[in-house]
Amino acid sequence: MFRKRYRQQIPELNTTSTADISFMLLIFFLVTSSMDTDKGLMRQMAPPPMEHEQPMDINKDLVMNVSLDAHDQLTLDGKTVTFAQLTEEVRTMASINPTGHVVAIQADREATYEAYFRMQDAVVSAYNSLRQQYAQEHYGKAYQRCNAEERTAINDRYPQRISEGLRVGDGTSGMNPIEKGGQP
Amino acid sequence: MRPMRSMFHTHRHNVPSLNVASMPDLIFTVLFFFMIVTHMRSDEVKVRLQVPEGSEVKKLANKAAVVNIYIGRQGDDWLVQLNDDIVKPEEIPARIEQIRATMSPELVEHLTVSFRADRHTPMGIIQDVKQALQQSYALRINYSATEIK
Repeated sequence: MFRKRYRQQIPELNTTSTADISFMLLIFFLVTSSMDTDKGLMRQMAPPPMEHEQPMDINKDLVMNVSLDAHDQLTLDGKTVTFAQLTEEVRTMASINPTGHVVAIQADREATYEAYFRMQDAVVSAYNSLRQQYAQEHYGKAYQRCNAEERTAINDRYPQRISEGLRVGDGTSGMNPIEKGGQP
Repeated sequence: MRPMRSMFHTHRHNVPSLNVASMPDLIFTVLFFFMIVTHMRSDEVKVRLQVPEGSEVKKLANKAAVVNIYIGRQGDDWLVQLNDDIVKPEEIPARIEQIRATMSPELVEHLTVSFRADRHTPMGIIQDVKQALQQSYALRINYSATEIK
């Protein structure tokens, strides 16, 4: 009978600090987690050369010999060039003969990776600008906005014809078949 | 007419307190969102490296099929690290085979090797690694870099 009158209210739990605790967890995750998205330059290497494989015959006039020496000096067919010039030259060559030319890359073992990467970047940028231009002219939109079919058509129009001469064990320089351009 | 008393008496309104009971829930939602979208890098990088910069870089798709190769300095030596362990270039084909064996067939087709190499790495090391990869038919490679706008 009297109990009802004395029924105590359960005291409410003080949850004010839960917000602070979860904020701390949130900030911890924000700080420790790596948000970096892996970005890079995709390349497709040629399969290993078969024994007794005949090197492909390519017209010398269509080959652009790009090489990087031990001091990171970039040369194109014997002439010293900058990365921007290389892009221009490759662009010109690829627009004249999109499917016949070859960009032959060679790097000295002492060259730095950065120079090599910038060389690759310069060559790829030449192809990308050509593809971009083609996409604008024929589809009226940027390459990135084209669908898979259109992209394949563009890539077939301007294939990346980059060949990389890896030095073979005995010191002779073997020319590998064309290294296909990576999926953009 | 109102009594004189109330003319000077200012009513003190209590500002109603904001109900913050749902704030932890909100923050927990944000927390869970972050926990889900961020990926934890599983490899412990044992070499010091700084990747180069490029303008034509693309996002690397299909993370499950990516094998990471880190090339960088440890003290004065240049070392190659594949996923979690320091390896010699000659050991790479065997490692790739091991990794292939654990992957599903669809992933094996999309196997990509991502080079995270330091800017000042001599090309000789990179070429050795590339040749090793070529021998093991891991032909899709990616030169990891930061993007310059």
